[in-house]
Amino acid sequence: MSLVIGESGRIEPPPLPAEQTARALRHLRWWLMRNTVRSVLSGSRLRLTMILCCSAVFWLGLFGLFWGSFEFIGINDALVNGIFEYLFSMFFLSILVMLFFSTGILTYTALFHSREGAFLLTTPATTDRIFAYQFTESVGLSSWAFFLLGSPLMVAYGLTNGAAPGFYLIFLAYLVAFVLIAGSLGAIAAIVVANVFPRRQKLVLSASVAGILGLGALLGWRLWSTPGDALSTDWLAGVQDRLAFAQSPLWPSRWMSAGLLAASRSDWSRSGYYLVVLSAHAGLAYLAAAAMARDLYFRGYSRVQGNRSARRRQGGYWFDALFHRTFFVLPRPVRLLILKDLRSFRRDPAQWSQFLIFFGLLAFYFLNIPRLGYAVQSPSWRNLVSFLNLSVTALILSTFTSRFIFPLLSLEGRNFWVLGLFPLRREQILWGKFVFSVGIALLPTELLVSLSDAMLGMGPLMIALHAAMVAVLCAGLSGISVGLGARLPNLRESDPSKIAVGFGGTLNLLVSLVFIFAIVTALAVPCHLYYLGIEHPEAQYALTHGAFRFWLTIAFAVSLVIGLVGTVLPLRIGIKAFQRMEF
Amino acid sequence: MIEVRGVTKRFGARCAVDRLDLEVRSGELFAFLGPNGAGKTTTIKMICGLLSPSSGVVRIGGNEATSQAARQLLGYVPDQPYLYDKLTGREFLRFVVEMYGLEPGRASRRILELIDVFEMRDYIDELCESYSQGMKQRVVFASALVHDPKILVVDEPLVGLDPRSARIVKDLFVQQARSGCAVLMSTHLLAIAEELADRVGIVDHGRMLASGTVDQLRSELKHHGPLEDLFLSLTGDHRPPMSSVEGQGPIDLAGRPQPAGTPL
Repeated sequence: MSLVIGESGRIEPPPLPAEQTARALRHLRWWLMRNTVRSVLSGSRLRLTMILCCSAVFWLGLFGLFWGSFEFIGINDALVNGIFEYLFSMFFLSILVMLFFSTGILTYTALFHSREGAFLLTTPATTDRIFAYQFTESVGLSSWAFFLLGSPLMVAYGLTNGAAPGFYLIFLAYLVAFVLIAGSLGAIAAIVVANVFPRRQKLVLSASVAGILGLGALLGWRLWSTPGDALSTDWLAGVQDRLAFAQSPLWPSRWMSAGLLAASRSDWSRSGYYLVVLSAHAGLAYLAAAAMARDLYFRGYSRVQGNRSARRRQGGYWFDALFHRTFFVLPRPVRLLILKDLRSFRRDPAQWSQFLIFFGLLAFYFLNIPRLGYAVQSPSWRNLVSFLNLSVTALILSTFTSRFIFPLLSLEGRNFWVLGLFPLRREQILWGKFVFSVGIALLPTELLVSLSDAMLGMGPLMIALHAAMVAVLCAGLSGISVGLGARLPNLRESDPSKIAVGFGGTLNLLVSLVFIFAIVTALAVPCHLYYLGIEHPEAQYALTHGAFRFWLTIAFAVSLVIGLVGTVLPLRIGIKAFQRMEF
Repeated sequence: MIEVRGVTKRFGARCAVDRLDLEVRSGELFAFLGPNGAGKTTTIKMICGLLSPSSGVVRIGGNEATSQAARQLLGYVPDQPYLYDKLTGREFLRFVVEMYGLEPGRASRRILELIDVFEMRDYIDELCESYSQGMKQRVVFASALVHDPKILVVDEPLVGLDPRSARIVKDLFVQQARSGCAVLMSTHLLAIAEELADRVGIVDHGRMLASGTVDQLRSELKHHGPLEDLFLSLTGDHRPPMSSVEGQGPIDLAGRPQPAGTPL
């Protein structure tokens, strides 16, 4: 390196062309992609095939759903006129909000908390160049789900409306511009949060998510309460009135929906116009984000790193003592492990805030059941809604166990040198996680389902049945997540969200969904047929009271067996794998 | 080459570095010593431009520490080095030389030279995810040196290295300093500092307690024992060495003599 020494004694290295670092980062990305693809291809073929099959099934399922919906809307002339534009505007507005948050969070983590970010900041790359590199990755990670969700929608719409091939091509151009707008806005928010709230980023995120969910709940409530008979002209006018905010010409989602609908009609000049508007704003948004990164990235990084909380955390010993006394039947080492996990749970707002938000929204919905008029509906309708509410509770619980319980063992692997030296058997570690998961899950889900049943005016037998089902579901979902977490751990990853979205986490979610479906269906069918028989005794499969008692007993026994197998089998598999595991 | 003038760094109410002055000249090997939490890593991060000081000035070769020119002059080995799991060691080194704009022919020769120096030929074309801690450390050292930096900053250099690799690294530090590079090394290993450093600086609670050659420190502080005792007396953690209480009964963990018969 030839150096120039200035008059002030300053050493001036030769200027580095801006293109030099850009080329280096491009090569880096290429090497990383190539080596990752090679690793995947040389790894487990079964795993790869399963990922591809699951994606294909998911895509085809969505395609079928959208196809059916568009066919249905197509046969209702009253619906066709204008409703698509409202639906698409709402859909893309929801995606805009989700992409804003997901890209914002990913960019924030990549820029301000990752070790890669720290490493790149010590290289001669400029801050806007580092931002461009990290931003591309964040946008890619956050938008693939949008592609998986949006592409079957657009293909189904194009096919049902006989769109020209150009429609599918222009959709890709729209997608890139749209994702860039949402991502750039998210990145700007991330840089602002790092600079203005370096110690309060989780609070800002929680407040924003709660605000958005609150607005969503309000909108849902207003849509539910639209006056008039469903699908009547008055009702449709009411729905359109309530969704009118999504049609504001200032929303990028509106440009996207209007442009794509124009393309589906082969109105290329209108579609091209909206594409230009969208692309111009995408360019502007990215430019603004890159300029902010150039000026504020380093400042934000320094503030975030320099303002890490060093709060002393003491107290809570009364809770420990109470816990030991209450659960004295459990071995002491298991109780200590549970207390450790409880402490981590309490100190990680990402865990309890999601738990609180989702279950809080469910509670809000259940409390509003009387206002929705379900409680005065027929017994079979109320029974159906009660099972649907139970299913929703279980589905939310399954996302919680997949996101937070499944990665527990993978994360523990890094600290295994501590656990491995404790005077306890390895299987006790797994049992500890299982009891922790069941304990965390049981209380809120039981309360929620009891609340739902009370609001629906269900009888004591159904309330007791649902309570028992919730217990079985909690045990099963916990068993699956703990067992599969031990069988398919990812010991290299320290980020639980990345562990949850990996192969093991996805499989865990799928198995959990199958388990919920099996348990709920086994009991919902005889109950539904019984209540159907009360209203329509002439119905073909209606059950009499005697037959109902017989089939309910059978169904209950079957669901208990499924629950037992769903709990014990994954745990056994997990324990075996965990005992063989080398750390 | 490295100039730290009256630098303070606050983390909220806590003062991690307090009006610190430090200078490392060209061709000098400076050892930065201090107990855990003394502010060494924070100072190093400010020198590398990763943290901005709350007050004071940090200059690298006369340039502001956060400038591109400063980063071009610097080679940095952090206490927890970062490597891309899905790159081979050779690809990582190629990325670094490209980032610093080295001419391709010279870059290739330099990479081969460092592969030989750090004895990495057996594994340099494997993915970094399969490397042991010591292997990773060697690749990181090579990456810090591959662009011929004028300033080398190393945080805890010998962590994870076997004795042979440690020897290579120590020789390299001396060689770099003798060839005109300014080397700043933070370490807990006082023997290494005593063996290699031209000057040492002892920092505690963010303040520079003493700085100079080991002989200067001994003479100024009127302390003629080993550097370890000097360090402990300066940082206020002095406890009698095991030898001084040998034969006088047991001592507790704080080094205080205990009555005979006290269980250890």
